[in-house]
Amino acid sequence: MLATATNVLRIHPEKCTGCLRCELACSYMQTGTFHPAKSVIRVSPFEGHTSYAPYTCTQCAEGWCMTACPVGAITINAAGAKDVLDDTCVGCKLCTIACPYGTMFYDPDTRKAFKCNLCGGAPACAEACPTAAITYEGTATEDWLGEFARVRSARVLAGVR
Amino acid sequence: MTTASLRAPSKRPTPSAARQPQDGYAGKLLRVDLAKKKCWAEPWSPDAMRELVGGVGLGAMILYRETATKGGKGNVSWDHPDNRLVMATGPMAGLPAWGSSGLTVVTIGAGTNGPTSTQANGFFGTNLKYSGYDAIIIQGHAPDWVYLYINDDVVELRDARDLLGKDTWATQDTLSAKLGLSGHMLSVYSIGPAGENLARFAAIQGDYGHVASKNGCGAVMGKKKLKAVAIVRGTKALRASDPRGLMQAADDIGFDLRTDPSAKSLYEYGTLPGVVNLSRLGALPIKNYTTNVSSVDMSQWEAPKLREGFDHRGHQCSACGMHHCHMSVIRQGERKGTIVDEPEYEGWSGAGWAIGAMSDIEGVAWLNTELDKACLDVNEFGWICGWVMECQEKGYITEEQLGFRLKWGDIKGAARLIQMISHRQGFGNLLAEGVKRAAEKLGSPAKDCAIYTERGAAPRGHDHRARWDEMLDTCTAATGTLESGVPVHPTEVGQPARINTFDGEAVAKFIAGIRGRRNFEDSLGMCIFTTRTRLENLCRALNAATGWDVTVPETVRFGRRTSAILRAVSLRCGHTPDLERPSTRYGSTPIDGPAKGQAVGAQWEKMVDTWYREVGYDRKSGKPLPATLKELGLDWLTKDLWGKRA
Amino acid sequence: MATRHVVIGGGTAGMNAIRTIREEEAARSEITLVSAEKPYSRMVLPYYLDRSIAESHVFTATPRVLADWGVKAHLGRRVTALDAKANACTLDDGTTLEYDDCLIATGSSAVRAPVPGADGRGVHSFWTLDEARAVLAEIAPGSHVVMVGAGFIAFTILNSILALGAKLTIVEMEPRILPRMIDDAGATLVEGWLAKHGVAIRTGARLATIEDAKGRKRLRFAAGGDIVCDVVIMATGIKTNLEWLKGSGVTINRGVIVDDHLRSSVPNVYAAGDIAEGRDLITGEPAVHAIEPTAQEHGRVAGANMAGKDVRYRGSLIINIVEVCHLDVASFGAWDEAKAEAASGVKPDRPAYRKLLWRGDRLTGAIILGPSSDIWTTNDVGMLKGLVQSGVSLARFKAYLKRNPFDIKPAFIASKTTSALLPETILGRPSKAPGNTPVAV
Ligand SMILES: Cc1cc2nc3c(=O)[nH]c(=O)nc-3n(C[C@H](O)[C@H](O)[C@H](O)COP(=O)(O)OP(=O)(O)OC[C@H]3O[C@@H](n4cnc5c(N)ncnc54)[C@H](O)[C@@H]3O)c2cc1C
Ligand code: SF4
Ligand code: SF4
Repeated sequence: MLATATNVLRIHPEKCTGCLRCELACSYMQTGTFHPAKSVIRVSPFEGHTSYAPYTCTQCAEGWCMTACPVGAITINAAGAKDVLDDTCVGCKLCTIACPYGTMFYDPDTRKAFKCNLCGGAPACAEACPTAAITYEGTATEDWLGEFARVRSARVLAGVR
Repeated sequence: MTTASLRAPSKRPTPSAARQPQDGYAGKLLRVDLAKKKCWAEPWSPDAMRELVGGVGLGAMILYRETATKGGKGNVSWDHPDNRLVMATGPMAGLPAWGSSGLTVVTIGAGTNGPTSTQANGFFGTNLKYSGYDAIIIQGHAPDWVYLYINDDVVELRDARDLLGKDTWATQDTLSAKLGLSGHMLSVYSIGPAGENLARFAAIQGDYGHVASKNGCGAVMGKKKLKAVAIVRGTKALRASDPRGLMQAADDIGFDLRTDPSAKSLYEYGTLPGVVNLSRLGALPIKNYTTNVSSVDMSQWEAPKLREGFDHRGHQCSACGMHHCHMSVIRQGERKGTIVDEPEYEGWSGAGWAIGAMSDIEGVAWLNTELDKACLDVNEFGWICGWVMECQEKGYITEEQLGFRLKWGDIKGAARLIQMISHRQGFGNLLAEGVKRAAEKLGSPAKDCAIYTERGAAPRGHDHRARWDEMLDTCTAATGTLESGVPVHPTEVGQPARINTFDGEAVAKFIAGIRGRRNFEDSLGMCIFTTRTRLENLCRALNAATGWDVTVPETVRFGRRTSAILRAVSLRCGHTPDLERPSTRYGSTPIDGPAKGQAVGAQWEKMVDTWYREVGYDRKSGKPLPATLKELGLDWLTKDLWGKRA
Repeated sequence: MATRHVVIGGGTAGMNAIRTIREEEAARSEITLVSAEKPYSRMVLPYYLDRSIAESHVFTATPRVLADWGVKAHLGRRVTALDAKANACTLDDGTTLEYDDCLIATGSSAVRAPVPGADGRGVHSFWTLDEARAVLAEIAPGSHVVMVGAGFIAFTILNSILALGAKLTIVEMEPRILPRMIDDAGATLVEGWLAKHGVAIRTGARLATIEDAKGRKRLRFAAGGDIVCDVVIMATGIKTNLEWLKGSGVTINRGVIVDDHLRSSVPNVYAAGDIAEGRDLITGEPAVHAIEPTAQEHGRVAGANMAGKDVRYRGSLIINIVEVCHLDVASFGAWDEAKAEAASGVKPDRPAYRKLLWRGDRLTGAIILGPSSDIWTTNDVGMLKGLVQSGVSLARFKAYLKRNPFDIKPAFIASKTTSALLPETILGRPSKAPGNTPVAV
C-alpha cells in the first residue's frame, strides 16, 4: 500500500466479522504489547451477535482534540493524522471530552492522551484485518458505519435477538 | 501484516505491561472452590508452562494429580465433588494468530466416566488471558446455583438462580443485559437445561455457537451447580517475546490457510464441504448408518449453495480470518428471520443426515442451534435420535414408550426429543443417559442398532465404517474421542501422505504414527482449524510468543506424553482395553454406497494389536510400557503405573 | 496602512485570537498584545503543582514565539480604560494604544469567601501562576491542606495536592460537592470514592473565620468543630475581570455581551473567553462559560472575524472533566436542566454512573462517571459530547437508551452522528496544527 497524505482508513462494515484482530495489532503499535484495552480502534457490536464494525478516529477536519489542547500537544503528522506529542501532553483529558466522536483516549499508566495516528502512514489495523474490512485509501472520509449500523440495530431496538 | 508494520511501535511500553515471568502467558491459574465459595489465583512457574503448555497438556496433569482416589489406584467419578472441571486456554490465546481464543475443557466426563478433552473457541481464551489467567480449575459442588464472574481482578461466584432453566443463548443474553456489556466485551460459557438436568451428553456452549461438546462435560458443570462462566474482556496486557516474529508467523499461517489445498476449502467454507465430500466416500452417516446412498439431489448441499441459502454474517473467533463460524439469518419458511449459528458439518450430519433430514435445510440449521441452546452434543444427539427413529420404524420402541411417533427427518419431533432429553421427561429420562446406556437398557434387538463405543462415547458425525482411521482413533483414545486426528501434513511426522483406509494394518500404523500433534494443538489455545499448517509454523509462532525453542519432534513428544497421562487417568477410571471397540452397528459393514462390503469387524482385533504395538502400550493391561514412558521422560509415571520394580 | 489589532489579555482566548488572525489575514496586520501576565494556560497549573511538568511547560507563547508571530507585546501591563469612541485604550503605565479593532479577553480571577482572615498568611487562591507558585512553596509531604469550596477548580487540583503527599480536607458550604458540575447522585458517588481514598469532606460547613494558630491556621465554622491545618486554599469562585470597562461604551451584563461574530455592542470591539457572554449552544441563551474550550473557540472565531473573515459562531457547549483519584467525572451541556426528561443508570460492581437528559428526541445534557482505566468510559465520554453537540435525532434509540444508558456506541453510530459532525468546523475550514502559524519574515 502506498501511503499519501490524503489516505484515510476506510471501513467496510459488512466485511467485519468481529474477530478484533485490528485491536490486537493497534494495541501493539500503541504500546509495544498486545493490549486491546489500549487499542484506539474499537469494534462495536450491533444486533444479535451478527454485526460488528470497527470504529476509530476519522481525522476530522476540525480536529477538536487538537484545537482543544491547552499546550499544543496534538499536531498533524506526515500521514495527515492528528498525533499526540508525548512529551508535551500533560494529561489534562480536555481532548477526550472535546472530541465528539469518542476517539480520543487517555492512558492512566502513562498519564498521556493517545489516539489513532495512522501508524505514521502504515496502519496496522488495515494490515491485520483478515477480511479487508479496513482499507487505507486515498479518498475523502465518510460516515462509513452509519447506514450499516442503522439497519443492523433494528433487532436490538425491537428487543429480538 | 506485511513488512510495513514491522517497525518499532510508536509509543514506549506502558508500566501496566510489566513483564510477566513468562512471555505469552497471563501467568496465573484461577482456582475456584465451589463448595467453599472461594476463588484464588495460583501462580504457575515458567518450567511448568514449558512442560504442560496449557489446554489439554495442563488439564491432563491436573486430572492426574487431583482426581485419584486414596492410594492412587482408583479415580473419582464424574459426579464426585473432587472431580475437576478444567477450562484452560494456552500460550497462543489472545495473541494475533488466527482463531486464538481456544478453550479446552478437561474433566472426568459423564459419558464415559473417564477423562475428557474437548474444545471450543469464541472469545473465552482472549477474555480470560487479558483478565490475567491462563486457566480456570473448578472443584467442589456449589450448595446452590452460581455463575462465575471474572472482571480482571474481580472474581466472584454470583447467584445464578434467576438463570435456571434458561437456554445457553438466553443465559448469555441475560448476563450481557445485566452487566451492560455487549458483543465480545463479555464471553459466556454456560449450560442449558440439558446440563442442569445432568444429561450425560450435555455440552458446554459459549459465545453463541461454540461448543465444548464431548463426554458430558456439561453434566459435570451441572453437577457442580455452576450455570455459567462469564468473563469480561480483561484490560491487562500480554507480552510476546518476539512480537514481530509472532506476527510474521501468524501471517504465514494465515497465508497457508488461505492457499494450501489441504486448508483452502476450510478457509473458504469452513466444514460445509464435508457433506458432499464425505458422501462421495460413503462416510456421510445417513439414517443411523442404515444406508450410504443419498435419496436427494446433492447439488443443494454443495458448500456455496448451503451458504447462499442464508443471509449469512461473520461471527469469527478471536483474530480469525477463516470463513467459518458464521451466523445465518433464515431467509424463508416458517422460521424466517431467526438467527441461527451456521451449522458445522457435524451439525448438518447430526441434526440432519443421521436423522434422515436431508431436504429441510433451514430446519436442520434451526435444529442444530436448538441443540446448542439446550447444550446437547450434536453428534450423540444424532445417534440417539436416529436410533429412536429407526427403532420406531422397526417397532423396537413403541409410540407409547416414546409418547409420540417420531419419523425419519421429523424436525419438530426431533426438537421435541431435545426438550424431553434436556428435561429428562418421560422416555427422555432414559435417552438422557446417552446412546450406550439407553441401548443397553432396552437390549437387543434395539441395542444392535445403536452407534457408540463400548467405552461409552459416541463417535463424531461421520460414518466411520468408511473411515477406519477415525474409528480406531475414537475407540482407543483415552478421552473417548479423536486423540490423533488426521493432520494436514502427515509426512511432517514421518507418515505417508495417504493410506488405504480399508487396510487395517496400514490404518493402525498411521493412527499410531501421527499421535501427538493433536494434543499439542489442543494445548496452544488455538483452533484445530487454524492450526492446519505445518507444525514448523506453529513452533515458530509459539517460540515467538514465548521465547522458547520448541522443535517439531518435541511437539510430538509433548503430545504423546499428554496421551500417556490421560491414559493413566482412564485406567484409574477402570477403562480396560476390552472397552476399546465399536458397538455392533458402529462396527458393522456398509450394505450399499461407496464403502459397500468393507468389513472393519473382520480386521478389528488385528488393528488394535498393531496399534498397541506401535504406540508402545501393553495390550493386556492397557498401560504404557515402561520403555515407552522412559522415552517420553515420564519415569515418575512408570513408578505409579507399574510399581517400584519397574 | 496595515490594520491595527489590539488584543487585551494574553490567556487562552487572546492567544487563540492572535494565532487565528495570522492564519486568516489576507494582508499582514499589526498586532499588539497587552497582558497583565505572560501568556500561559491556567488549566495546566495543576500539573505544575504536582511537579509532573516544569514551570516552563505552562507558557503558550514565549517572547521568541511572539516575535515570530510579529506581535508587539506589553507584558505585565494592564489596560485601565477603554474608549470605544476614540478607538483607544489606556495602559497602567499611561501608554495609549489606538486600534482599528480590539479584543477584550481579560478572563476572570479568583474571589475569596468574605470571612475574617481570608487574606491572611497561608491562605491562597489557585488561579494564577503566581498563586500556584505560592501554594507549591508551602505544601510539603505531610502538610494538612484545607480546600475551602468543592467546585470544579478545587477538584482540578485535588489529585495534585494528594500527589505532593499532603493530607486533604475539603469543606463546602453547600450540602454537597461539585454543585455546578454534577447532580446529587453523581456527587454522592464521588464523595464515597473520595472517602475511600482518604480525603475528608465536610459539606454544609459555613466558614466563620480563619485565624493564625501557633504558625498554623485555624478554621472556625458557624457550627461544628474547628480545623487546624497548614495551608488553606480558597476555591470559592471566580469573577469576570470587567471593572476597567466601566464607561467604555461596551454593553455589559454578566459579561461583555457578544453576537454570533463575537462582536460586542461596539462593532470593532470583540470579546472572547471567560469575559464574554455569548450564545449557549444548547439553550440559545446568552451565557458566560468560564471554560477553556469556550475561550479557544471564542478566540478563534473572534480572530478570524478580526482578520476580515465572516465566521459565524453557533454557540458554546459546556463540557467539563475532572479526574478524582482515577475516577473520571464529566458533564456536558444542560446536565442540570430540571425540566428535561432524564434517564440514569448506576453500575453496582464499579463506580460507574450515567445520566442522559433529553429535550424531545435530542440529547441536551449528560453526566458520566467511571474509572479512568475503564475503556468503556473514555469511549462514551466523547460520544456523549458528540450527541449533545450535534443534536442528532435519537428518536429511534430514545427508549433503548433510557433502558440502557451505558450502551451509547450503537446509538451514536446508528443515528449517523458521524455524518452530522464531519462537515462541522469552527472556522469553516480544516484546522491547522499548532506549529503551523505563519511566521513573520
Ligand atoms: C487551576 C485551573 C484549572 C482549570 N481547569 C480547567 C479545565 O480542566 N477545563 C476547563 O475547561 N477550564 C479550566 N480552567 C479554566 C480555564 O483556564 C479558563 O476558562 C481559561 O483560561 C479562560 O481563558 P481566557 O482567555 O478567557 O482567560 P484567561 O486565561 O484567564 O486569560 C486572561 C488574561 O488576561 C490578563 N488580564 C486580566 N486583566 C487584564 C487587564 N486589565 N489588562 C491586561 N490583561 C489583563 C490576565 O493576566 C490573563 O493573562 C481552569 C482554570 C484554573 C485556574
Ligand atoms: S480524535 Fe476526534 S477530534 Fe481528534 S482528529 Fe480524531 S475524530 Fe477529530
Ligand atoms: S490530555 Fe494531553 S493531548 Fe489531551 S488536551 Fe490534555 S495535554 Fe493535550
